Amino acid sequence: MARQPVVPDTHANQDCHQKVILRVSNVEKVYRMGEVDVYALRHASLDVHEGEFLIVAGPSGSGKSTLLNVIGGMDRPTTGSVTFLGTEISQATDVALTMYRRNEVGFIFQFYNLIPTLTALENVEVAVELSPDPLDPMEALAMVGLQDRADHFPSQLSGGQQQRVAIARALAGNPRLLLCDEPTGALDLETSRQVLNLLRRLNGTLGKTVVLITHNSAIASMGDRIARISDGAIDSLVVNEHPTPVEEIRW
Amino acid sequence: MVSRMLRRKLFRDVRSRKGSLAALVMIVSAGVGVFVGLLAVFRDLDSARARYYQEHRLADFSVTLKRAPDRTTDMARTVPNVREVRGRIQQSVLVDLTGRVKPIPGMALSLPLDRHSLIGGVMLKTGAWFSGDMASEVILDFQFAREHNLRPGDRVKVLLLDRQHDLLVVGTGMSPEFVYLIPPSGGLAPDPAGYAVMYLPHRFMQESCDMQGAYNQLVGLAFDNSRIALKEMLHILKERLNAFGVLDTTPVHEETSVSVLRDELYNLKVTATVFPAIFLGVAALVLNIIMGRMVAQHRNVIGTLRALGHSASTMTLHYLGHGVIVGASGGICGIAVGIWLQYAMLGMYKRFFAMPGIVPHTYPGILVTGFLIALVCAILGTARGVRQAARLEPAQAMHPPPPEKGGRVLPERIPFVWKRLSFRHKMMLRAIFRNPFRSMVSVTACAVATALIVATLCLHDSTYYMMDYHFMRISHEDLTVALRDPRGPGSVSEVAGMPTVSAAEPQLTVACEMTYGPHVKRAAVTGLSDHARLTTPLTDSGKQLVIPDAGVVLTTKLAEILDVSVGDHVRVRPLLGRREETTVPVVKVIDGFLGLSAYCHIRYLSTLVGEEWVTNAILASSFPGSWGTPLMPALKERPLVISITERTRSLEQMHKTIGEFMGGFILVTIGFSGVIAFGSVLNSALVSLSERRREVGMLRVLGYRPGQVSRIFSHESFLLNGVGVVVGLALGVALAHLITVAYNTELYRFPVVIYPSRVAITAALMTAFVTAAQLIVHRMVKALDMLDVLKVRE
Repeated sequence: MARQPVVPDTHANQDCHQKVILRVSNVEKVYRMGEVDVYALRHASLDVHEGEFLIVAGPSGSGKSTLLNVIGGMDRPTTGSVTFLGTEISQATDVALTMYRRNEVGFIFQFYNLIPTLTALENVEVAVELSPDPLDPMEALAMVGLQDRADHFPSQLSGGQQQRVAIARALAGNPRLLLCDEPTGALDLETSRQVLNLLRRLNGTLGKTVVLITHNSAIASMGDRIARISDGAIDSLVVNEHPTPVEEIRW
Repeated sequence: MVSRMLRRKLFRDVRSRKGSLAALVMIVSAGVGVFVGLLAVFRDLDSARARYYQEHRLADFSVTLKRAPDRTTDMARTVPNVREVRGRIQQSVLVDLTGRVKPIPGMALSLPLDRHSLIGGVMLKTGAWFSGDMASEVILDFQFAREHNLRPGDRVKVLLLDRQHDLLVVGTGMSPEFVYLIPPSGGLAPDPAGYAVMYLPHRFMQESCDMQGAYNQLVGLAFDNSRIALKEMLHILKERLNAFGVLDTTPVHEETSVSVLRDELYNLKVTATVFPAIFLGVAALVLNIIMGRMVAQHRNVIGTLRALGHSASTMTLHYLGHGVIVGASGGICGIAVGIWLQYAMLGMYKRFFAMPGIVPHTYPGILVTGFLIALVCAILGTARGVRQAARLEPAQAMHPPPPEKGGRVLPERIPFVWKRLSFRHKMMLRAIFRNPFRSMVSVTACAVATALIVATLCLHDSTYYMMDYHFMRISHEDLTVALRDPRGPGSVSEVAGMPTVSAAEPQLTVACEMTYGPHVKRAAVTGLSDHARLTTPLTDSGKQLVIPDAGVVLTTKLAEILDVSVGDHVRVRPLLGRREETTVPVVKVIDGFLGLSAYCHIRYLSTLVGEEWVTNAILASSFPGSWGTPLMPALKERPLVISITERTRSLEQMHKTIGEFMGGFILVTIGFSGVIAFGSVLNSALVSLSERRREVGMLRVLGYRPGQVSRIFSHESFLLNGVGVVVGLALGVALAHLITVAYNTELYRFPVVIYPSRVAITAALMTAFVTAAQLIVHRMVKALDMLDVLKVRE
């Protein structure tokens, strides 16, 4: 394995039973902006364990979204390796990445990205149609507590409700990995708590692996492990023995 | 400076949408091109016509009679409204060219020695006028001379009545009477090589046509040449000259050549209005949608600019700028297209119309008008977007737009169907029904393009149907031998006995004046024998017409003009023989698309002209592959023969001329329709793609392949355009009917012919246009960066 600068030994504090579902090793991502190279990620390494709630926290511009995109198969690193259950995905073809996103990953975005011309239920069905092993869309909506809003269009739902539909959509494809990019960034505190609670519950009851990135350090304390990222590299990775209950989070 | 900054923004905005704006510019150019081109062609042709008619004094009327003494012209001059008259001799001839087996039918007209201020004058193209009034000299129609490589100094053998004359060609010329000369053998197309018009010295013709001191056609000018005045005047002239056997009186408006040219000019003018209106209308509608979208996208920018202190009117002007750019570019390209069209069309008309001075001119007025129309249309097209932009208040504009409205759309009311649809179809249907204006524009543009193609193809098929109907389905002879005077049955057996002839059949064709109530019309009545096999008029159900022993069968148009129906009795005066009026029952009315004709039994018609049984045309068919050589010399020797016509020649001639014209017309129409379809499809797809970039990104993230995503757009496009095609097909069929009504003249009628294959071809063409536009959309979906799309809020 390549050297992991700055980062403390990631295996040191961890339960030896925990299985690595996804491994990021020494990943670099360089964007060429005109004449200059911009390093979005430099030698970033990170293991994601099956069933954990991992928080990646960092200020804006630190490279956390890039990391999530690389993990989620939306973008390829310039160098380094990303393996999902031992399979290299960092240089996979477009088709292979599409299949990866389809089968293994559920995304949740800051702005929900629901399809405005589809009802809540239909938005969930969008994911169901692709998955080899989907949940019943209505069940997925029930899990997020919106079964009675199934026929509503996004414009008829509040922000929190929309985000819950987005979570239901991410769930419905029955992925192993839920990737959340600032899921509460556009929500008020109370609604944010509901959404985070929901994510925590899904992690606990369904055993979904959740990777949540945020710039809000208050949220970070709810994770099983907290990775701090700055300037494109993982600064620290700590195991949070006592995750803060969502109700106690405030900002 | 601020305005410079805005101007720069304008040009960048335009550049960022160059694809869709270019498609629009193409539609505008097509519209302006047709407007500029066709109006210029109209002016060029119209002025050439006016000059030609005037300079060579086209007669306002003609009276054809059997034989009238020269002195009667003085009497004719005393009829009110007659300004000037000239008596001339008109005689059908046969030209025997060395090296040609077949004699060429033609017409000789007499001209006086004094060529100045002639009524019905001739414009000399080469050579000189006659050297004397009795000289054996001829001026040939220049097209005929050119086709046969004849020049002044050459000699031609011309059969006048029963004597062949060896005439010296002194010149070639052309006359405004024969701008579009349809030979008497029929059809719709001129045949300059197969029909000879020639001019001979007046006295020479009088001598050789047995017309000493007489004439058989009076041509003249009137003070007032309006339809009504001429009709009235001709009525009096006819009464005064009736003793000399008036066969026909024709006001200038009814001359075939004159009316063909007039109709063509009228069509040009109509097309120059209707086409551009359609094209520019579509362009304005599509522009409306693009601008609406642009303003929605620029919402934030507009808010910021307003917050910085720009006024609402500055915004208005800024967004109007897009219209100005599209209009101006379309106007300029359109002028170029128009000038090209003008040159191309005049080139074609030059071959169609034997008329001097068909030369393209530049008409600044038309060019400027075309440009302004494009500009105004494009500016109107931006109106909706501009209004939206001006209305946005800065504070409101800087906020994100209110979320898209929800609510159920029409198809959701049918849950049975709706439940079975996939989410993609639901997305598509909602997008269509929630943007009714945009959907309507797509459907309209597609329908217009489809209708244009269908109608053009139908017009083409109608033309060919008409030609085939007359020259294939009801005529089967190889040769028609026309006789100078009606003859008895002996002549039929004579032709039948000639070498290579397999069958011969008699016909009696008599021009008759038919009267019913206040309606009078001259028509050709054809007498057919029992079981005629070489001419087989068809009933409406397509069966061969059984010739009644008594009474006449009229074709639809003639019955319409006379306002008669089956069972009525019309008065018929044959312009041959006794010329006595008889009352005749109308037995049947059948279809006919060329000229005005009627049929009856040959014996019945013979009785009407005061004979027992006569024929004046013998139709012959020959053994397959054998005819020609031995037959023609045999026929040439018989002075009784005034013309020999081949059926296939007329047909070939029409196929050639009309095929060429139609081919060009169809290509241009399909090209222009393609521009409309492609431009509109591309634009509406681009607009909906730009509105739904986030959805596209999201679907891609969820694991949909680019093809699966772009299918949402293509399905939407195919559905809208499918509806457009269906509407367009119906519209096209209606248009074809309309054209049929518009082209219903005495000379020809168009049957409505709609072949399923044409409908299929049109649908296939439209599918190709839509698919081409969709390929571009697919490429854009593929190139879309899903990360960028999802990150920022519009």
